[in-house]
Amino acid sequence: MTKSQKREAVWGWAFILPTMLGLIILNFYPAINTLYQSFCKTGDFGRGNVFVGLENYKNVLSNTETWQSLWNTIKYALIEVPFGIIIALILAVLLQGKVKGKSFFRTLFFLPMVCAPAAVAMVWKWLYNTQFGLINNIFHTDIAWISDPKIAWISIGIIGVWSIIGYNMVLFIGGLQEIPKDYYEAAQIDGASGISQFFHITLPLLSPTTFFIVQTRIIGALTVFDLMFMVMDKTNLALNKTQSIVYLFYTYAFTNGNKGYGAAIVMVLVVFIMIITFILQKCEKKFVFYN
Amino acid sequence: MKKAIALTLALGMAAASLAGCGSSDSSNNGGNSGKGDAITINIWDSNQQAGIQEICDDWSKESGVDVKVEVVDWDNYWTLLEAGASGGEMPDVFWMHSNTAQMYMENDILLDLTDYIAKDDRIEEENYYEGVWNLYQSSDKQYALPKDHDTIALLYNKAIFDEYGVEYPSADWTYEDMYEAAKAITEGSNGDVTGVAMNTSNNQDSWYNLVYAYGGEVITEDHKGTTIGSAEGKAGMEMVRKLLTVGAPQSVVAETGTDSLFMSGKTAMIMQGSWMINAFYTAENASDYAWAILPYADVNGNGACDDGERVSAYNGLGWAANANVSNPDECYDLIAYLCSEEGQKKQAELGVTMGGMKGVSEAFANAFDGLDVSAFIDVEETGRLFFRPYTRNTTVWEDALQQQGAFLDAWQNPEDPAVMEQACDNAQKIIEDAIAAE
Repeated sequence: MTKSQKREAVWGWAFILPTMLGLIILNFYPAINTLYQSFCKTGDFGRGNVFVGLENYKNVLSNTETWQSLWNTIKYALIEVPFGIIIALILAVLLQGKVKGKSFFRTLFFLPMVCAPAAVAMVWKWLYNTQFGLINNIFHTDIAWISDPKIAWISIGIIGVWSIIGYNMVLFIGGLQEIPKDYYEAAQIDGASGISQFFHITLPLLSPTTFFIVQTRIIGALTVFDLMFMVMDKTNLALNKTQSIVYLFYTYAFTNGNKGYGAAIVMVLVVFIMIITFILQKCEKKFVFYN
Repeated sequence: MKKAIALTLALGMAAASLAGCGSSDSSNNGGNSGKGDAITINIWDSNQQAGIQEICDDWSKESGVDVKVEVVDWDNYWTLLEAGASGGEMPDVFWMHSNTAQMYMENDILLDLTDYIAKDDRIEEENYYEGVWNLYQSSDKQYALPKDHDTIALLYNKAIFDEYGVEYPSADWTYEDMYEAAKAITEGSNGDVTGVAMNTSNNQDSWYNLVYAYGGEVITEDHKGTTIGSAEGKAGMEMVRKLLTVGAPQSVVAETGTDSLFMSGKTAMIMQGSWMINAFYTAENASDYAWAILPYADVNGNGACDDGERVSAYNGLGWAANANVSNPDECYDLIAYLCSEEGQKKQAELGVTMGGMKGVSEAFANAFDGLDVSAFIDVEETGRLFFRPYTRNTTVWEDALQQQGAFLDAWQNPEDPAVMEQACDNAQKIIEDAIAAE
């Protein structure tokens, strides 16, 4: 290595050091510690951990609660991801054209993203309230939106879709702006309708953005916690059918103080997300179009 | 794509900086400079903040040390305190509760007050409620001093009783009378207003009291077992079930909460603890509300309230300090002041809570102009108090009891006595398993 190369390397490290330190202290260390704790019967206040091998995993995997919560989480993702993306894409395309008050609408749809998730959940909780809720009062219905185990998961999913649309929309708008205008002009000359332009130009050229959103949103939806935590009371009849796996982790690790068991639940989730991500990466080669 | 990410980042940063603005002035606490570091107090009840700050200010005048009282809501309080104890920022002085005290004491998180107390003539053990004092003792060391004690009473809405022509609760009421009154109101209004409301999570303030009144014990006195699945425990829960048949449905109490139902005139009676007096005293329709002594369980059926038939849960918080605090002497002095006769009397006079010291709570009965809260004090004199059930890891079984597989099943289906009986058996097992795992 020459002197200047050396100097360059030193500076290179110096520049990434802050990020590296942040990652190591805030991400890697806790992650490794969680893995370690999942093999322990943990003591109070992080002291006196006893190594118990796979004991926690055995209990977690044999508990039906774990699988029910994982299934609840998947059901939530099945609502949030597709609807959050389709609606956002439609909005993005509409707001991309010449619309009056374009920036007003863009701001409007992005606003839920700026609100604290806990506040959003509190407002929805009251909208859904069976006795005093606005929804039941306006439509003169008497539906237990969040207490009926059959529909509570859909109600929760709707909140998730509502909160995420704006964020997805902004990403889509960014993606749309990168599609060269020439394609549309050429298509117009060839007499393609707006709809076939959308399916044959917009969708394929937007696929990298779509893939990015699908991937991040699936991971986001699988780690959902705050919605269930804020909306569902501990004594809610539908809690078992809606609580996400991270909620279950919170109950064991923080409410009951059983950190080892909680860590094992989280490791199960990590493995699950890794499998999903692996499948997605395989799909990327097939469906995503990079020009 | 890149533009989009940049835009999102920019928006995110803008949001973060906006959020930052809101909290930037919170570290500035009026700024009257005292000597030494200010003491930070954490509590979870905002109803008590003003009163406690006032008492602490009196102490600051003498000691010259500033005290700042901060409120963190119940759930976050314990999460933050535990995180602090595991190696983070902890408040200097804070409340302890029966749910967690044992865990904190065993791990030396709390400042050992034993030697201080021995040298201090303001603090004498016999002046305090025994259950509260003993709760904060571990291996012959005292880790917290009794701040207060609370009891339970029956809160009712006079306007609703008048509307449906039902007589107000009285000291002669049994739980059967309570059921009849609730039934009359629920049926009179066709279910629009319910006579009573009770959630599975209303344990200390509601159904625990019935279990003990009928002779059962949620946790036995040695903290090693339970009799909730015994005939007595089941008799208590059977009475609870009867009340539920004329009470607000489970789906309603889980969404709206019994306190909100009561304040919005949707339910006529709830059982509540003395720590909630202020919340109802300052409510919109406070003039309609009144407190009555808890009904009794006429177990022997002689039509009179005999010894042990009227019971109320009691609990007491403790003032504790962080073991690693930089100024332990001052922290102890503050705690001792709060728990001394002077501090305790002030606490009662200001209507914060009843005292942890005996004989200082008379003033509390008069703290609320135009509201009679003697029910909380009478139940101590004429009834039997039982200490809030706790074990080393209370929340494990306490939470499980409120959910499916335990009492939530019975709450969901109150018409069927067999479901409640099964729930009692399940509860027995849940508690025994939890204690075995401790």
